[in-house]
Amino acid sequence: MQLPAQQVAVLEAANADEALSVDALAAATELPPETVTGAVFELEDEGLVAVSERTDETVALTDEGRDYVDTGLPEVRLYEAALEAGADADPVSMGQVIGASGLEGGAVDIALSNYARKGYGAIEGGEITADSDADPDADAEANALEALADVDDAPVDGVDVDSETLESLERRGLLERTESTVREVTLTERAVTELMAGIETAETVGQVTPELLTSGEWEDVEFAEYNVEADAERFDGGKVHILRQTAERVKDTLVGMGFQEMDGPHVDADFWINDCLFMPQDHPARTHWDRFALERPTHIDDLPADLVDRVERAHREGVGEDGEGYHSPWDEDFARALALRGHTTSLSTRYLSGEEIGDLEPPQRYFSVEKVYRNDTLDPTHLLEFFQIEGWVMAEDLSVRDLMGTFEEFYSQFGIEDIRFKPHYNPYTEPSFELFGTHPTTGELVEIGNSGIFREEMLEPLGVECDVMAWGLALERLLMLMYGFEDIRDIHGTLCDLELLRDTEVTY
Amino acid sequence: MPTVDIDPDELRDLTGHDEKSDDDLIDDLFGLGLEFEGRTEDGEFELEFAPDRLDRLSVEGVARSMRYQYGDSRGVHVPSPNSPEWTIEVAESVPDERPYVTGAVVRDVDLDEEALESLIQLQEKLHATMGRKRAKGAIGIHDLTMLKGTAATEGNPTIQYVGVEPDEDRFVPLDSDQEMTPADVLEDHQTGQTYADLVSEYERYPAIYDSIGLFSFPPVINGRRTEVSTDSRDLFVEMTGTDQWTIDKMLNIVCYALSARGATLEEVRVDYPDREVVRPDLSMKTKTVAHDRIETILGIGLDPDEVIDLAERSGLEAEKAESEDGNLVYEVTIPPYRVDVLHPLDVIDDLGRAYGFNELEPRYPDIGTVGGRHERSRLERSVREQLVGHGFEDMLNFHMISEEENYERLDVSPDGDVYGAGEAATIKEPYSEDFTMLRTWVMPSLLMVLERNTHRSYPQNLAEIGFAAEVDESENTGVAESRRVGAVLAHHEAGYEDAKARLQALARNFDVALETPPTDHPTFISGRTAAVVIDGEEVGVIGEVHPKVLVEHDLEVPVSAFEFDLGALR
Repeated sequence: MQLPAQQVAVLEAANADEALSVDALAAATELPPETVTGAVFELEDEGLVAVSERTDETVALTDEGRDYVDTGLPEVRLYEAALEAGADADPVSMGQVIGASGLEGGAVDIALSNYARKGYGAIEGGEITADSDADPDADAEANALEALADVDDAPVDGVDVDSETLESLERRGLLERTESTVREVTLTERAVTELMAGIETAETVGQVTPELLTSGEWEDVEFAEYNVEADAERFDGGKVHILRQTAERVKDTLVGMGFQEMDGPHVDADFWINDCLFMPQDHPARTHWDRFALERPTHIDDLPADLVDRVERAHREGVGEDGEGYHSPWDEDFARALALRGHTTSLSTRYLSGEEIGDLEPPQRYFSVEKVYRNDTLDPTHLLEFFQIEGWVMAEDLSVRDLMGTFEEFYSQFGIEDIRFKPHYNPYTEPSFELFGTHPTTGELVEIGNSGIFREEMLEPLGVECDVMAWGLALERLLMLMYGFEDIRDIHGTLCDLELLRDTEVTY
Repeated sequence: MPTVDIDPDELRDLTGHDEKSDDDLIDDLFGLGLEFEGRTEDGEFELEFAPDRLDRLSVEGVARSMRYQYGDSRGVHVPSPNSPEWTIEVAESVPDERPYVTGAVVRDVDLDEEALESLIQLQEKLHATMGRKRAKGAIGIHDLTMLKGTAATEGNPTIQYVGVEPDEDRFVPLDSDQEMTPADVLEDHQTGQTYADLVSEYERYPAIYDSIGLFSFPPVINGRRTEVSTDSRDLFVEMTGTDQWTIDKMLNIVCYALSARGATLEEVRVDYPDREVVRPDLSMKTKTVAHDRIETILGIGLDPDEVIDLAERSGLEAEKAESEDGNLVYEVTIPPYRVDVLHPLDVIDDLGRAYGFNELEPRYPDIGTVGGRHERSRLERSVREQLVGHGFEDMLNFHMISEEENYERLDVSPDGDVYGAGEAATIKEPYSEDFTMLRTWVMPSLLMVLERNTHRSYPQNLAEIGFAAEVDESENTGVAESRRVGAVLAHHEAGYEDAKARLQALARNFDVALETPPTDHPTFISGRTAAVVIDGEEVGVIGEVHPKVLVEHDLEVPVSAFEFDLGALR
């Protein structure tokens, strides 16, 4: 017969006549008790050992009990101090005795509550008497503490203390009882027979190998045990960037709401970025330092000439019978200057004009979640480049109520409810609203976007004859709201912290 | 956004609502779109304003709007100025760049400290907004009693707007006690230095004279002689600029503010060489607004009376009329201080604000459209999914970078023809020297992330599907923009084969033919570098990063890497 090494060792250490505990077998085999226990059960299954179980009760002193071994029981110390003070003759003031005893805090209460019980004397009206017949040396509890001082987890029937004293010590919290199951093992007859016939030790195997499987050897081998509780070496699987995950979620939501995605150039002519948006050429945002103009190349080659004419006319003269233009200069060369787009509304103007994918008939819904560039101050909440969520709906006769309903629906998908609309001004929308929402965790009112109905001065030159409502929002803002990040630079860009990216919780 | 400081006591005074607490006022101001940002040192409200209602740049204008909001005022109010006594004569010598001037006389002003402070703030805010930092319009306010008009014709006092040689004449500017020429002012005076750029290119500088001499050097600084103080009772307001409409509107806003302080307005004749105009121009425009359009935009039904009421509560006046095709329209009168009403839609916005936009019930539009992703964005997502499946951490880096990071630290030169090192699209005024151009490839960003994270555990296998751009004259914008698939494998045993295995997997995933013929690239170790050729076209590079580049990035582990154009997987 072949058995794993541990089982062979246990069989050889066990005895047919005398039951041995697992601990005893562990000592004999020099194997850990858990290993022996495992081996014993397997041997029992094989009918090679008989296992009997009994419950052992052991006792041990608590920390408090051990303290009293050194210092004496509080009531004994009180008694000794009382004798010293002459309380065996006349009652003595309790304060004096306690002071002399050196007892403090909780120990005083313990001493007082046990003093009379154990016949050391009486306490009455703040005075204490001592019974001169009492004998601390005969104090059963004190003696039991002495007796138990040097043993650890002594079997309860092996100690020289009566059960009444044990119980009172336990009640006082000076002693702990522990019950444990002790398994005792004896060899069966079959084991004796097998042992006489000779048992071989089976090898343990570290790894399942092709040879092991094909040879059938796996049936006879035992696999070496692992410490299955130990932590493995750290593993970091790949993960989609957290901001990208958020962008994907936004895209999914918008596609679900019937929006088509736009795509277009990051470097674009001011014409598409601003002029088509009815932004006057002397608008502070256009000359302002927050724009990234290109040093090289400087100008776009071609713009659709008739569109340029219509846009220029809108800027100069306005649109419609009562329309007025801006009293600002307009220069085509200025419009052809290249810059990094400051908003993705440049994509909207390209799509609305028909330049990108041909003329669009209403109804239409379009969106993009793409990067924009602003020369702002780089700080925990501002980046030079960030993602803008841009969306618009084109239809006949849109109202601000449609706009409000659309945004409520969108934001509710991200847990942002109770949108508030603050009337606002944008050169390219009227009416315009800043959107405010309630932070899902802090309850703060935070700005979450800008929206409005595109002006006719913007739409008419683009050739759009129905209404278009639009809105924009920074994706990073949504991310920070959703995750509560404090410094966006840890997430987005080359200063990112890999650990943070790796450990950020996945959402869905 | 710009801010304006308003004294709450003045506001209570001018609106006649002493009972309003500061908190009440803050709420009411929010309703007007003026957001409370905090208080100044003097306890004034600091309010953020959207730059459309420039008639609300001072406490007088804000109070006027609030009186409409409270229902204390209705409709349009226009002050009646007295007939002109003074004339501004515009000389032929006026610089061509700044040909326009306008003005008004304001009498019996009660200028206490607060009123003067408010007037100065209004002037500053108008300069900053409509005036485009004084380039488009600049305001000069003078103590009328200090002016001596040359008696030109029939006793009418006249001042002259002229052009002068930079060193032609002298005057004592504000905040100085020395006579200076205009050229001296630009050179030596603090305000002059600030605004020097506005006129330094001019051949002749703008100047205003009375019979005593030069008293104003617009748009830079006034003379000290005519300085306004709390003792001033009568004022001469002049404005010069590049556009008549703009300065006339700025003048109207100032006139309304002073009129609200109880002043009397008096017209001024502006005598151009070829025409004469009388200012301020307090004439009113009307806009024809269709009833249907109001209902469509607001999404609610309204009675004509309601519309007229909303208009009056907005400080407008509306009269019912019929359009040519027989539809109900309103002739809406716009007061002369409004600069933001370009189109009937702007009137509808006013009506909506008066109605209360937040009173409107949101509704989801019943419009059927089919949603979908852009092809590029679908491709990008699929490739990203594969890369993550291959164990890469997905990166998202900045598109702006420095020349040094993009080229030098990877040992490539900007004029090199190796993959990645194309000609850069550069930024005119970068935020800092770290962000001077658009990256021409993503490899530099990935190495920067490795450099920044050497204290984090390895392996660090990073991938980015990212934007890159280079100058390309064949493109309309002059810039070829592309998406790159970049990947780095950084760990103790990283080698060419690891990178190649993953590249091969990608090629299989997208069913394209991959070849990797040997090549040389300074970023990578010679003999361990290949071109990435997909479907017969060279689209990228793969190799083991050269120790020189590793050491440059403080890396102590080998790195293998590849980068190629996303479009190759189509």
